[in-house]
Amino acid sequence: MSLSKFEHVKVTGISTVVPEKEINIYDEAQYYDNNIKKIDRMRKMVGFWKRRVVDYDVTPSDLGIQAAEILIKEMNIDKSSIDALVYMCQKPDFQAPATSFYIHNKLGLSQQCAVFDVNQGCPAWIYGLWLSSQMIEAGTCKKVLLIAADTPSTGMDPADRISAPVFGDGGTATLIEWSDKKVESFYNIETVSKDYEAIMTPVSGQRCKFNLGKTEDYKLFHDLLTNPIETPFGNKLTVFNGYMDGIAVFNFTISVVPENIKELMKYASMKYNDFIGLCLHQANKQIIQAVGDAVGFEREKVPYAAFENYGNNTMCSIPTTINHVYSEEITGQSSKVICSGFGNGLACASVILELDHIYSSGIVNYKKPDDFMTREKYLDYWKNKLSGNNN
Amino acid sequence: MKKADFLVALEDVLQRDEACNAEDMLEDYEEWDSLSKMAIMSYFDKNFGIKITLNQLKEIHQVNDLIQMAGSKIDD
Repeated sequence: MSLSKFEHVKVTGISTVVPEKEINIYDEAQYYDNNIKKIDRMRKMVGFWKRRVVDYDVTPSDLGIQAAEILIKEMNIDKSSIDALVYMCQKPDFQAPATSFYIHNKLGLSQQCAVFDVNQGCPAWIYGLWLSSQMIEAGTCKKVLLIAADTPSTGMDPADRISAPVFGDGGTATLIEWSDKKVESFYNIETVSKDYEAIMTPVSGQRCKFNLGKTEDYKLFHDLLTNPIETPFGNKLTVFNGYMDGIAVFNFTISVVPENIKELMKYASMKYNDFIGLCLHQANKQIIQAVGDAVGFEREKVPYAAFENYGNNTMCSIPTTINHVYSEEITGQSSKVICSGFGNGLACASVILELDHIYSSGIVNYKKPDDFMTREKYLDYWKNKLSGNNN
Repeated sequence: MKKADFLVALEDVLQRDEACNAEDMLEDYEEWDSLSKMAIMSYFDKNFGIKITLNQLKEIHQVNDLIQMAGSKIDD
């Protein structure tokens, strides 16, 4: 399978929302023994600079909903024409129902619309495009709204100098439609599951669970949480944190990803000059340049500006790059981009897209709505509801 | 590539302010960390077409060992 092609699917709009709160690495000098030279070196080698992070009570769906609202308003989309909502996420609002039902309600979409969540990491945006394209080309949907959002910063200790400076938060919405006119898109999707542990949150689901009402479970949970384990790289992690085997991931990235992209270009019979750029998942500057070099692109055509300005916002990083760097090219003319996302799974998904006078939001700051539910409000609401006091 | 040119390039790859010499011990460099090792891996891949692993880099001690790894790609 791995390689696939669509001929009547077009992406017509992409919006990106990021939190307003910005953290600049130079404001965190205390974590680097106030050694500015050290920070300069990090900036130059890995691209650490600025990143956007949410308030603790903001969820990925909050960012995604706002991105979708922008798309619906600015593109003047008739909500009843949306046949399916696909929500890509790794941090759902609740275990059940799927968060896409909550989003569907918030956006006021029609009853004649299918919704589902898909759990994918950094390649999620491309995975979502691929799924949506199949639904459209099969004839079951004319218009699909794809939302991808993540808030990796909320799972991190700001003092963790290995992970915290890397990640930023974001939400993105994309409209995918049937096109009578021929529009080609090409995909290459690969799975390397032998490395499924290489990026993982070991205790985060049913595999290892706790009955917190039982004293011994509560004690065990608390012990694990308050006694982090020191890794060989000197950072401290608990089993509840995101774990990453940097070496395995780096090896995967420089061996699998460039080959995946080259194979896709060959499949589509396209050359470097056919593209305005190679939009890679914004893992960090070093990885972006290593992959770009290995594929054979000139460095100017492999942007890492989104990483420097917003951080690695996981599944949002490719649409963030497109909206930050190529907004003018895709709104004013027809441009081809080649994109590749890679991350937990381990997975690699690449796509060649033709973006012809599409809507691009640029990068918009998230604004908390007036009816925003803080944790306190949310708990009060549910306590009242359970006791039958809401009406 | 000439050895002297490689030593200048190495300075940039490691983001080091001082000159590199073939006899220098890598462990003595403050910059010899995992970031630098990854940068070396991509430099070798891009410039010499040689894929080296992190484990190989853990086993070497001197700048000279790096030059040896490049084989015939670096000459005097």
